[in-house]
Amino acid sequence: MNVDRRAFLAGSLGLTVGAATTALLEKRKYHVIRKQLRSRVAILRAESYSHDLEQILRSGLDLFQLDVRGKTVLLKPNLVDFISGNHINTHPLLVSAAAECFRRLGAKSVLIGEGPGHQRDTELVLLESGFAEELRQQRVPFVDLNRDELVMTSLLASYTGMKHLWLPRTALGADFVVSMPKVKTHHWSGVTLSMKNMFGVVPGAKYGWPKNILHWKGIQESILDVCATVPVHFVIADAIVATEGDGPLNGHPRPLNRIVLADDPVAADATCARLMGLDPTRITHIRIGAQFLGNVCNERIDQVAEAVCAPANPFEVVPEFEHLRVTGSAQRDS
Amino acid sequence: MRHTQQLNHVCVQGLIDRQLPEGGWPFSSHTTQSAIEPTALALLALPSSSVRERDTAVRFLLRTQNANGSWPAFSGDDAGGSGLTGLALFALNCCRAQGMMTNRAVRWLLESRGRESHWLWKWKFRTSDRHVRFDPDKFGWPWMPETASWVVPTAYSILALKYARGISQQDLVHLRIRGGVEMLYDRVCPAGGWNAGNGVVYGFPLAPHPDATALALLSLLNEPPNHFITSSLDWLERRAETCFAPWSLAWTILALDAFVRPTELLTDRLCSVVDPAKANDCATLAVASLALGRSHGPSIFGVNS
Repeated sequence: MNVDRRAFLAGSLGLTVGAATTALLEKRKYHVIRKQLRSRVAILRAESYSHDLEQILRSGLDLFQLDVRGKTVLLKPNLVDFISGNHINTHPLLVSAAAECFRRLGAKSVLIGEGPGHQRDTELVLLESGFAEELRQQRVPFVDLNRDELVMTSLLASYTGMKHLWLPRTALGADFVVSMPKVKTHHWSGVTLSMKNMFGVVPGAKYGWPKNILHWKGIQESILDVCATVPVHFVIADAIVATEGDGPLNGHPRPLNRIVLADDPVAADATCARLMGLDPTRITHIRIGAQFLGNVCNERIDQVAEAVCAPANPFEVVPEFEHLRVTGSAQRDS
Repeated sequence: MRHTQQLNHVCVQGLIDRQLPEGGWPFSSHTTQSAIEPTALALLALPSSSVRERDTAVRFLLRTQNANGSWPAFSGDDAGGSGLTGLALFALNCCRAQGMMTNRAVRWLLESRGRESHWLWKWKFRTSDRHVRFDPDKFGWPWMPETASWVVPTAYSILALKYARGISQQDLVHLRIRGGVEMLYDRVCPAGGWNAGNGVVYGFPLAPHPDATALALLSLLNEPPNHFITSSLDWLERRAETCFAPWSLAWTILALDAFVRPTELLTDRLCSVVDPAKANDCATLAVASLALGRSHGPSIFGVNS
């Protein structure tokens, strides 16, 4: 292999910057500890998107004995855009099933909130993805977090170096936040799961479309700051049909036929990553998040339903994240 | 036509009812935080007969201008400036509200630029970070300081600079308009149209969006015809066939109308999907009113003065 001087210098510089960035990230920069001693995760089998989801979800939620009586529950799905045939959004049937379950659990109110990061016309996404009709039938209110009233909020971690973010009053005012990601690979962050899904609470009306400041400040760093500041109380991840390859928009559907429930976003994301055949400890925001936001080690995660079963073929990822894939002997050990 | 006018009258009344005491409009009518985008769009939509409402809106915009000449995104925002500065200036100029604020705003627009224009980031985007197809030499305006250029703030800024009156530094203004136009052509999606500003990522073309496409086209209205404009108009016409969301539909009508393409069927559809009594989003109500109002007068975005 021929390596010219310019490539060598650029490579050396890249390695130095990479090492420095990693060292900076590993330094403790959080002002809150949300990590529990042990976390609970339930992997539930679901063959398809159907009205049976409510029953499946109800039996799964029973395993957690959640007390949401009298609370305002915010369901935060992942709505990116609508591209016919691409599985890029959390499925509306799963979201409406979750809304019904939390109502039955005695929630004072259940609402759905999202602030798409790419498409400015949230109503267009809702209409074309089938959400609008589903929400109308179920009479679940929707809040466009991109255009909500904003409150200046001090960040409870400082990985980005930002002191504050303007955040939607609806997200800050909820008593119980449920992150409902679509399980996908992501070309900038490796994966987009319950933690990355929280980018949707950062309002476009202030930060634009896309929320480009989060990219400039570092995606992994921004995920940590946002999740430290807006606590995720519960996760319902849509892995019935996941996405691999060049996600979040141009990946390929990959059925996993699973829903993942968890009382800890780090444990949820670590479990989803394992289901994808990816090593969660190599995903920066999951690894650092394990210091203060939740558990990544299998020993601290109680799998209260199915056991984690890694696929024989790990999810395809873009070349930059090839190192996340667990193959061969590493797969047997993980 | 009569129905369109009646519906627009109801939209205008809906806007008047939702105006906050301080003169601005919020995005969501359930909140009381004035934001610049719905305020500027509502100001553009109000007829000249709404003297009092327009006057308080103008005063609100003048009052919220930052010391550096920019506008914030909403009332109480940080003072660094936002990508809505162009829209605020455009709306005020359409209301003939010129003066000191115009020159300060223009000066800020001339200084504001996407971060990719800096030599260091240019180098990075040319050498190591090449997954998004774009030319960092062609930059426009960002949503907020220290971020990259994107389509919507660039379109708003081009509109503001093209239609600003009585301003100095004409050479620089012309240069920035040309740069912004070049940036829009650089970021166009392969099949025409624009989204937020990423046409191709990892070698895959991304889909355009109706609202961003319409706004980009409105900012390019007086440019010499070319295939970027034609293919984007064609895409917008095709996309409109299945578009039922009021915000996107209204922007589509404004753009197609400005380029003298037929909009009657789309206007009928807009009438059927807009319900001013139930509309929660003031910005959407304002754009719907602009789209409906252009059928009995010149479009505010089509004015070639």
